Amino acid sequence: MKARLRLLRLDILRLTRSTGVAVAVVLLLAIGVYAAWRGGRNVEAAASSAIAAETAYRDQLAYLLSTYPPTTEAGEVLYYLAFPAPQPSLPLAGLARGRTEVETASLRIRLLALEGQLYEHETVNPRLAAAGDLDLAFLLIALLPLFIIALTYDLVSSEREGGTWNLVRLFARPRRLLSLKLASRACLVGALVAVPVAVAASLAGVPLDGRAGWAIALIALHTAFWFALCLGVASGRRSSTANAMILVGTWVGLTLLAPAALSLANAILHPVPEALELTVRQRQGYHEAWDLTKDETMQGFYEDYPEWSGRKVPEDVFTWAWYYAMNHRGDRAAREASGAYRGVLRERERWARRWSLLVPPLAAQLALDRLAATDLEAQLAYQDAVRRHHERLKTYFYPHFFAATPIDAVDWEGVPVFEPAATEESATRAGFPAATALVLASILALAAGSVRRASPPTLRESVGAAKS
Amino acid sequence: MSTWRAGLRNTLLVARRQVGAVREDRYVIFLLGLVIALGVVAVLGARHHAASEAEQRARYQAMVERQWLEQPDRHPHRVIHYGFLVFREEAPLAFFDPGVGAWAGTSLFLEGHRQNTANFGDARHATGMLRFGRLTPATVLALLLPLFVVVAGFASVSAERERGTLRLLLAQGATPAQILAGKVLGTGAVAALAALPIGVAAVAIAGSGAVGPVSPGRIAGLAGIYAAYLVGWVLLTVLASAFRASSRSALAQLIAVWVVLCVAVPRLGASVAGALHPLPSRAEFTAQVERALNEVGDSHNPQDPFFRSLRDEYLARYDVGSVEELPLNWGGVVSREGEAVTSRIHEEQQQDLVEGQRRQDRVLSWAGLFSPYLAARDLSMAVSGTGPEAVEAFRAQAEAHRYDLIQRLNDLHINEIRYENDRAQRLPRDSWAEFPTFGTRPPPLGGALAGRTLSLAALGLWLLLPLLGLGLARTRLARVGVDRAAE
Repeated sequence: MKARLRLLRLDILRLTRSTGVAVAVVLLLAIGVYAAWRGGRNVEAAASSAIAAETAYRDQLAYLLSTYPPTTEAGEVLYYLAFPAPQPSLPLAGLARGRTEVETASLRIRLLALEGQLYEHETVNPRLAAAGDLDLAFLLIALLPLFIIALTYDLVSSEREGGTWNLVRLFARPRRLLSLKLASRACLVGALVAVPVAVAASLAGVPLDGRAGWAIALIALHTAFWFALCLGVASGRRSSTANAMILVGTWVGLTLLAPAALSLANAILHPVPEALELTVRQRQGYHEAWDLTKDETMQGFYEDYPEWSGRKVPEDVFTWAWYYAMNHRGDRAAREASGAYRGVLRERERWARRWSLLVPPLAAQLALDRLAATDLEAQLAYQDAVRRHHERLKTYFYPHFFAATPIDAVDWEGVPVFEPAATEESATRAGFPAATALVLASILALAAGSVRRASPPTLRESVGAAKS
Repeated sequence: MSTWRAGLRNTLLVARRQVGAVREDRYVIFLLGLVIALGVVAVLGARHHAASEAEQRARYQAMVERQWLEQPDRHPHRVIHYGFLVFREEAPLAFFDPGVGAWAGTSLFLEGHRQNTANFGDARHATGMLRFGRLTPATVLALLLPLFVVVAGFASVSAERERGTLRLLLAQGATPAQILAGKVLGTGAVAALAALPIGVAAVAIAGSGAVGPVSPGRIAGLAGIYAAYLVGWVLLTVLASAFRASSRSALAQLIAVWVVLCVAVPRLGASVAGALHPLPSRAEFTAQVERALNEVGDSHNPQDPFFRSLRDEYLARYDVGSVEELPLNWGGVVSREGEAVTSRIHEEQQQDLVEGQRRQDRVLSWAGLFSPYLAARDLSMAVSGTGPEAVEAFRAQAEAHRYDLIQRLNDLHINEIRYENDRAQRLPRDSWAEFPTFGTRPPPLGGALAGRTLSLAALGLWLLLPLLGLGLARTRLARVGVDRAAE
């Protein structure tokens, strides 16, 4: 056992003595630690954005209450007031940023029609977004496999091409040599994964819960898949260059082509004209009401809020109850399109997750995004939470609209606080399908290799291979 | 003259040798088929997607314009709030290189008192898969073709050396320069073969006029950019093959270079640009705008000091005692002046944001010096008309249109509506039927390229450096031959 460990240490030393490997190790470590630091910064930025929304609300409320006479109707001041709806991000978002670059989790919502406010996005610079971002998940899922390929593509072929394979076959046990070489490489790669993940976890304050456990398991399984694939290919009898081309080709296929092709197919299969439809309808629904009788507008409102149906508004004077009911009419008009819009997006997400199971890097990435609640589904859940919050605010203020309460009679401290979207969905549900897919893919990759090995090369073949 | 001709003959012979070697390699043939198939799928898929998006936008734009005309008779201030919706049209070449379009909003609501942001867009509707990139003709050319060039050319010189045929070639009178030139030509021919179907398909679509008018200058520009970019890869591949001891290490090195230049540096550059110059978040930005607006005042609030002093000024100018006596509608004046002030403040804040984005862009442009992929993509989106400047042009033009629209309506309010019983009056809807319509004017090609000297320089360097390297390799190649012969 001790001798094995010494051999292992020697092999790791031998590996890192190669300039290429040493440079790659240093680069990957540096980028990994950078990505971990950046992830922590992103989580902090999201938190400070939430504080900004909260502060802006306090400031705006104080400003409005001090500039408007105390007898002003609440409805008038509420026209300007934007309520914060900050969704706290999970610490895991520091590892897997997902779509948070484009989406804001700190919307500010006025009591006006919601559909016109719900789809604000983050102040993203489109050029940076187009270049793509580098979070730790991308580094470990997309880039690290290339390093694994570089370490293992000539596991056997280098011995054969160096003329030492037959010596190994005669004097050592090839299987033992292979497992030693694999073990040393796995140690090196394992360290490259563990260090940045540990840094990220401590910087973002990731608690050691089920989510973190599944995230680590997925990263480990994904790394293991690439080892299995490389072993499967490298133990064949092809030349080193053929192995390299096959493995890099597979990497390109799984990491660049399949996701890009699936994204395009998803967009073509599930078009979202509803996005524009709901925008047009919301605007039309609200503005039409200015030319209807007030009673017509209120009828729709009473249907949705029967508790107010006894309270009629006068036809000939402006009331805030009617004004906000008009806004509600805009949301009503967009309701169907808005529901269809969310339906299509959910369908896109389901479709993507189903197909991702066939593509190991995608399966790992999407499951990590799910665990970190940074995916499309999390965004839709957030929008639903904002929708509920808007309803609660309306319920809170409608009595004031109908009673024409002046602003100094409103209990501003009792205004409902935003209740974030729940993220207690079990981590197992997010991680299990992808983990299973990764295990199956690894077994498949290994089996493909051992099927070929089942017919051992004749001595003549081996000699021929060694000569070439 | 005859030595020149002999040189050309040798070069062409080596080139043909290289093409022949590639033809016998089943991996390369398989990859060639794959790249061509992917390119054509990308052209057709991207075209289909772009067409359906464009159709949607055109349909809703027409609907919005119809709704504008079919408005009932309204008070002009009502129309100010009714506003107008504009949809960002993508450039005709967006099917080839969608550029940054997916990350920029699509629909923009223009109304009084506010500057909204454009909402929706491909990236907002995409799943996490988009993080890995998009399948577009431009990606196939800029990301995948270099890898194909590497596979087709990594052994070009090194295999000759490993087989001992390099010495034979030298002995037969081919100079190192001719051999290298021949290898470059041969590998380049194979690369051209892979790129051509994509180019032909793209030009056919662009030329058919189905995507809108495309100037030949833009097509030639794209052809030039990708040709230069790919020639750089061919030169680098042959260079690595000439310099490295074995084909295997040449391949490993070239793949590592590809990963660094095409995958790692672009993303690292974008991440560092974001870290160096962070933008205010949407919540912070809207809060800033709100604070700035609060400092000036609010045109809806008659008690506001800014508007009180405006009133005194008007009363003095027309020498009357109260706003009721003014020969124009005071409510309309307040609305017009208020719009002028809020628009200016919004625009100042917006310009700060845009300036922040430009600072980030500059970091990315410098990163382009280390990544020809970034530089080529930057130039490609500029020529395709899908770069950030096209998005900013849309925003600025839509804002100008908004301001013009609102102030025309305010002028109607000032001149056509009486002050007393203001809100009860309406104007016939013809009053705004003849307002100018909105159409995006894309930024001109020259302007888009003028701001990209860094990317142009990067592409130039990308050609120059491997050429210099090949100049060095030429002398070394001869030495390698002599050294081997002396062994």
